[in-house]
Amino acid sequence: MSAVVSPIREPLIIGHKDYHQITEDICAPTEKTPSLMWVIAFSISASLLAFYVFCVGWTIWVGIGSWDLNRTINWGWDITNFVWWVGIGHAGTLISAILLLFRQKWRTGVNRAAEAMTIFAVMCAGQFPLIHMGRLWLGFFIFPYPNTRGPLWVNFNSPLLWDVFAISTYFTVSLLFWYTGLVPDLATVRDRAKGLRRKLYDMASFSWNGSAKHWQRWESLSLILAGLATPLVLSVHTIVSFDFATSVIPGWHTTIFPPYFVAGAIFSGFAMVQTLMLIARKVLNLEEYITIEHIDVMNKVILLTGSIVGVAYLTELFIAWYSGYIYEQFAFYNRVMGPYWWSYLGMMSCNVISPQIFWSRKIRRSIWWTFFMSIFINIGMWFERFVIIATTLARDYLPSSWSYYSPTWVEIGLFAGTLGLFFTLFLIFTRLAPVVAIAEVKSILKGYGDQYTGENANQHH
Amino acid sequence: MNQFSFESKQKSVLIGGMILGLICLAATWWVGDDGHHTRFWSNFLHNSVFFTGIAFLALFINTAFTTALAGWHVVFKRVFEAYSLFLIPGLVLMLVIIAGIWGHFHHLYHWADPQALLPNEEGYIDEILTGKSGFLNKYWYTFGTLIIVGMWIFFALRLRRFSVEEDKSGTTDYAHYKKTRLWSAIFLPLAGFSSAAIVWQWVMSTDSHWYSTLFAWYTTISWFVAAFASIILLMIYLKSKGYYENVTDEHMHDLGKYLFAFSIFWTYLWFSQYMLIWYSNNGEETIYFHLRRQNYPVLFYGNLVLNFLVPFFVLMRNDTKRKFGTLALVAILTLIGHWIDFFLMLKPGIRETAMHGHGEHTFALGYSFPGVLEFGILVGFASGFLYFVFSKLSQASLVPENDPYLGESLHHHV
Repeated sequence: MSAVVSPIREPLIIGHKDYHQITEDICAPTEKTPSLMWVIAFSISASLLAFYVFCVGWTIWVGIGSWDLNRTINWGWDITNFVWWVGIGHAGTLISAILLLFRQKWRTGVNRAAEAMTIFAVMCAGQFPLIHMGRLWLGFFIFPYPNTRGPLWVNFNSPLLWDVFAISTYFTVSLLFWYTGLVPDLATVRDRAKGLRRKLYDMASFSWNGSAKHWQRWESLSLILAGLATPLVLSVHTIVSFDFATSVIPGWHTTIFPPYFVAGAIFSGFAMVQTLMLIARKVLNLEEYITIEHIDVMNKVILLTGSIVGVAYLTELFIAWYSGYIYEQFAFYNRVMGPYWWSYLGMMSCNVISPQIFWSRKIRRSIWWTFFMSIFINIGMWFERFVIIATTLARDYLPSSWSYYSPTWVEIGLFAGTLGLFFTLFLIFTRLAPVVAIAEVKSILKGYGDQYTGENANQHH
Repeated sequence: MNQFSFESKQKSVLIGGMILGLICLAATWWVGDDGHHTRFWSNFLHNSVFFTGIAFLALFINTAFTTALAGWHVVFKRVFEAYSLFLIPGLVLMLVIIAGIWGHFHHLYHWADPQALLPNEEGYIDEILTGKSGFLNKYWYTFGTLIIVGMWIFFALRLRRFSVEEDKSGTTDYAHYKKTRLWSAIFLPLAGFSSAAIVWQWVMSTDSHWYSTLFAWYTTISWFVAAFASIILLMIYLKSKGYYENVTDEHMHDLGKYLFAFSIFWTYLWFSQYMLIWYSNNGEETIYFHLRRQNYPVLFYGNLVLNFLVPFFVLMRNDTKRKFGTLALVAILTLIGHWIDFFLMLKPGIRETAMHGHGEHTFALGYSFPGVLEFGILVGFASGFLYFVFSKLSQASLVPENDPYLGESLHHHV
């Protein structure tokens, strides 16, 4: 069945591929010895990861006192990093679940890697609440179960506990979704492998044999997981926003937080997808599957969500004035003009102003501009969380306890270290599994391959 | 049948509906009058805001679909265009409200009362309203409405013109389509900012002390769902008259999905706003929901039943989105549901203003629940809206012949 495709659609697979060529191209990175670039990148990432382990050890040994938190600013880089990573972990499931419902065909080129990135980002996010506990070995206190600790019981009224449920559910469903999608592709790798490698991939793919029954079950499982994942994409960052918005702290307590956090999360998630994809498509020779068109479309998503975030920033500012509530007004005055003015400026310029250059098609389709902007947005979204958390806490109701906070080397090390964890996992992933969903890309070939649509299409098709 | 003909029978039915609405509206001038004709004016505002918002959202949806390179809806995109042109009569309706502010004919907005900023009998000044008076004043209301709705009308007319011209002189380089795409993209951010400003003025300022940052988005999504519900009903009607044979149950299924998904999204926003205000228990904020939950419980809970439970449980199944009877039933209920949502946003605050804060919100038709007259007025406004939409539909072919995505739309398969 060849779909009717509008003559003005851009092709999503270029190079006149046939089914076999797709298998060859996408499986290749898992079958060759790693390139020098990969080895260098892996060494740097793994070193950062080792430094992370050291910093975690230091934090636990010395205690939270090794951070610069104090009684005024009791959340700093730790929770900033946590929210930043959770936000990044939104793009993958958005692409695979919500864009599936919207029938966006371009998702097939990037969904696999974006989902993997999601899972790794959520793993990084999960580190911070745990380390922040100080006594890591008591981490199991967060689980609600009958215990012998007397009246010590989790507080079901606390959004921090809801976070535990929200993020662990999101992680579980995202992982299942990702792995389900991987099963047929792992079988494809297995079919080309020999010996022990073949056995391992056979196990990993649950001895998938490609029968109609297998595909049918796979399809219905994917649909159920997509249905479950869709509300989860919204719920996770909604609940993260509740951590702040349920309080009565000016600057935190505002009703726009839930949808605005979700939009910001998608924004930062796509920025990270761009950062990774631009490198991966080059290093793994996948430029014909993750095309300039894909980059263009994702830049449009970035422009859209960046502008939504911009509307939210201005709404907050306006309503702070409109409310007539002096503490709210001060909180926002302090954000813009206070001691942390530089972080507000960083947030505004990276998140709202600079993405507007993506109105130009030429810039959207430029690899260098995209890469530069994706880094810029990653920084901007980190600043956004820093503005919300540290700036707000630094100036509380009691001027006598006002304070200024700057991170210690341990806190910086923990942040840099999670980048190491993230990239180490991602680099391993590129070696083990097909980075592009083979079966899904094949499903759109007839219709969106460049022999079927676009300038170079063969007219007789 | 690619040309809609506005039959004289339809015209007379719709004119009859408009006359009925006019009679009901006139009756509310006297029935239960409180000296300010509050029931009359609040009904006028309620329906004007509701239908103008639907027209705006139709324009927004059309431009969003264009920008997202959606193809499936193209076969019936003329319906969105016809809807969006209702912004012109919508602006006229809002001008009546504006005239009322300048002439002090009504008492809908507390901030519009010249006494509101003066010291009261005990010498107290309303500091909150004084602080807001830089925004809540008749100049902003007037020029904000004129400029913003005027800007929306500019885009609606322009996009309509490109679309109709494409029928006559469309070429294979799709020059018209490219212009449509450009102007659609420009419209979206402008719409994003301006719609919030409009909602603050038209709707949120009826509770003139209260504020919520989420309110503008919540209100806009309420319009969004109402727009989809009414488009579903109109498509089913047009199909029953033999038009749009090429709009199949595949297209209706997708419209149903939008109704389903955005009903859930509306609920998400409802919950986010309510939960955060309830949880932090801050008097300045809770007053809004306290007033409504205590004194308007039928509407308060009914709102959630009609706009969440009904579409959620009925449209969850695949097949109910493809059965026109079920789909129409849900569309009617959610359309009325969102009309009631606006009723609940506007009426309690307006009533409080009219009572000058010295009265009980006892049960009264027209406030606690829409009375027969209110439903009659709804019929009147809906008839006027449809009359306008039908006359616009009859002025161009129903299917945009030269749209580059028409082929995808005609072969749409879920």
